[in-house]
Amino acid sequence: MAQSQEEEVILKVKRFNPERGFWWAEYKLKVDKFTQFTEALRRIKSEQDPTLSYRASCHMAVCGSCGMKINGEPRLACKTLVLDVAKKYNNNVIIIEPMDYFKPIKDLIVDWDEFYERMFKVKPRLYQAKEVLEGKAEHRLKPEDQRELWKFAQCIWCGLCVSACPAVVIDQQFLGPAAHAKGYRFLADPRDTITEERMKILIDSSWRCTYCYQCFNVCPRDIEPVTAIKKTRSFTKLYKDKSEVAEIGERHIEAIHESISKTGKLQEAEVYVKAYGVLQSLIDLVYMSGAGKLKYMLVQSKPVQNIKEIKKILGGE
Amino acid sequence: MEKIEYDAVVIGGGLAGLMSAHEIASAGFKVAVISKVFPTRSHSAAAEGGIAAYIPGNSDPNDNPDYMTYDTVKGGDYLVDQDAAELLSNKSGEIVMLLERWGALFNRQPDGRVAVRYFGGQTYPRTRFVGDKTGMALLHTLFERTSGLNVDFYNEWFSLDLVTDDKKVVGIVAMQMKTLTPFFFKTKAVVLATGGMGMLYRHTTNSYINTGDGFGIALRAGAALKDPEFVQFHPTALYPSDVLISEAARGEGGILKNVKGERFMTKYAPKKLDLAPRDIVSRAIITEIREGRGFPGGYVGLDLTHLGEEYIKERLALAVEAAKSFAGVDAFTEPIPVRPAQHYYMGGIDVDIDGRNPDIVGLFSAGEAACVSVHGANRLGSNSLLDTLVFGQVTGRTVVQFLKSNPGNPTSNYEKEAEKVVDDAYKFVKSESGVHFGQILEKLRDTMWDYVGIYRDEGGLLNAMCEINKLRGMISNMYVIDKSKVYNTEFFNALELRNMLDLAVVIAKSALERKESRGAHFRTDYPDRDDNNWLKHTIAYLRGNTVEVTFKPVKITRWKPEPRVY
Repeated sequence: MAQSQEEEVILKVKRFNPERGFWWAEYKLKVDKFTQFTEALRRIKSEQDPTLSYRASCHMAVCGSCGMKINGEPRLACKTLVLDVAKKYNNNVIIIEPMDYFKPIKDLIVDWDEFYERMFKVKPRLYQAKEVLEGKAEHRLKPEDQRELWKFAQCIWCGLCVSACPAVVIDQQFLGPAAHAKGYRFLADPRDTITEERMKILIDSSWRCTYCYQCFNVCPRDIEPVTAIKKTRSFTKLYKDKSEVAEIGERHIEAIHESISKTGKLQEAEVYVKAYGVLQSLIDLVYMSGAGKLKYMLVQSKPVQNIKEIKKILGGE
Repeated sequence: MEKIEYDAVVIGGGLAGLMSAHEIASAGFKVAVISKVFPTRSHSAAAEGGIAAYIPGNSDPNDNPDYMTYDTVKGGDYLVDQDAAELLSNKSGEIVMLLERWGALFNRQPDGRVAVRYFGGQTYPRTRFVGDKTGMALLHTLFERTSGLNVDFYNEWFSLDLVTDDKKVVGIVAMQMKTLTPFFFKTKAVVLATGGMGMLYRHTTNSYINTGDGFGIALRAGAALKDPEFVQFHPTALYPSDVLISEAARGEGGILKNVKGERFMTKYAPKKLDLAPRDIVSRAIITEIREGRGFPGGYVGLDLTHLGEEYIKERLALAVEAAKSFAGVDAFTEPIPVRPAQHYYMGGIDVDIDGRNPDIVGLFSAGEAACVSVHGANRLGSNSLLDTLVFGQVTGRTVVQFLKSNPGNPTSNYEKEAEKVVDDAYKFVKSESGVHFGQILEKLRDTMWDYVGIYRDEGGLLNAMCEINKLRGMISNMYVIDKSKVYNTEFFNALELRNMLDLAVVIAKSALERKESRGAHFRTDYPDRDDNNWLKHTIAYLRGNTVEVTFKPVKITRWKPEPRVY
């Protein structure tokens, strides 16, 4: 490991307080290649400007305190090295802002109330059988189950995924990626006893995710909330009291599967009709023709030649 | 000032605080948890390697709780209260299985039972773990559990000071950080579970929030600290950012090497080698570096490369990630650069085996904030998580007993006292000019590291006393530039600094008094342990600008002091 050279950077921080509103402050400091953003901020606060406010605690990416936007990307400040960002953008001026979606309180500190509310909505705790809780029975956990659950149990409530999620902004009934990761961790736990109730909380919401994979990209613990959502959707077939959103979603998936196994292609028009029904499709047809998009809907393509290979991949027949 | 009433108030939302709150709430009492962070941001989350436990039918067939107690007593260089260590060992299996039932995802053996690994100073392997994020896993589990109970959480509230009347707890004043509004929490029982104080040192593995607030609060209220001179340095903090590389890395077979590629622990602990207790390994590393066998910049290598990628990934994921993210080192192919850094505080608020402080009625403490003492002069790895849960539970139950036998509410004219607490907090930062907290803080951290660190001597400690007293004088001139009434972190940093300085002077003075070397307290001018004169606990009070030091005997049940060789 080579000794490290110091380089000068400028951090442009978007600041806020309720009396003054937003403004920008610039700080010049020397950092080396190991300097984390949390350390850079700490030094600014203790050496240059004690009024700068931000949250930070563990500086090792397990407490989830220091989420912020660094050059436009939602990141944990501790898990991000200053010179890495300077190199990536080929610019020693770096922009730091509070996370999107959350309401700003002071500088980089944002309001968490709504986020926590969503997290608590999924009943984030294990409801064990009474005998196990009382120590009268033991519920052993297979190593492979432990590994599966632990992946999703590592959510540190940092909120980066929520700040990056477009669906959560427009759909109040979507619980958001973090709450889904947490919810799935308990839904999938073979020791949990309130599966039915969890399905009621999670399934409708899981079909409201748009699969944009932003949560997958920004999660500092590689939890893949979108994977948790996918896996939650697979519980839909076990659930009786389905909402309309879940039913359409299920039909949509089935139609896609059918289309691909029959023709090797995604026949959009067929899938649409099967997912939304004839009536809704006709209504939407009117809108689409109004928007000049009718031709896309009527595209018919021939099945691929080697359909057997496709079926093999799909794992059927 | 607004007032709110509780049967008990727990300060701190880490493992010890949540466990106490769990017990108090489960008994039907009204309890509040006040934390300056959201509970899962507590420093407990940063604990990595594991939690020690003897579980009948699931441990090494030769192991038993007595070996565990013996290891703890010897590891603590015989300053451990042995009745407390016995309690810790005897309850270890039960508490781990309780957390397991609450949903903690411990790593498993192929048959589905909880798995085990070696840690420093253990006769038999008995550390239970969740990868190398055990603290985070346990903290989340306990928070999930507690948040389902009838516990009121005051997250991001800063506790200022206790209010007492005739050495009895009347309540505590805390301030909502978002609005700077002070509240008086009227209560008969306060549990200080505020964790450690790593930020006193230039190099620490601790979270930024570990500023020793509970110690400051206890000292100002007139409670004593026990064994304040005992500060643990962890041998393997990542160079240069001081992120912890878990002792599990050595427990799983990692080897320390100097610049010549030599496994130097053969010289310092021929039997236990790299798995000798932390004080011994820390001193060995510093000695290697000082004698010119460290790498340029001052570190040694922690070699995992022989363990195989898959094994390392499953059991030491965080160590690999930290080495990669924070030092640019690929732990699969090259040694991780490490050096010692402050890690844990064995000293703490003086409490008995039930978590009760003897100076103030209604004051309790648990976890790293407390000194029971189960860690003595040096804590063994994976005993701290165990301590938080076992004594968190014990203390919670003690509070329940206390509340049952003391019905009725505290009566006292608290109003004036509470106002004074707020005035005091503002007083030392209300000047229009002067120094700001950063100038004092950085000097304090250097002073503690240079003179009250791994190696100590009389000259250095006198220097430290002089410097700390100067800094304590300077804070009357401290001022806060930020006048904002919303989440004013500068103000809270200044309050943290007051706590840090109140603690620093007590640590330095106690270290100066103890003229021997024991565990983590190493005096180059008195390099040997001296049981004749010093097999006793330090009890230190802060009275204004003076530190009053007295002593208390160590409780010895079955294990007579013997030379500590590994």
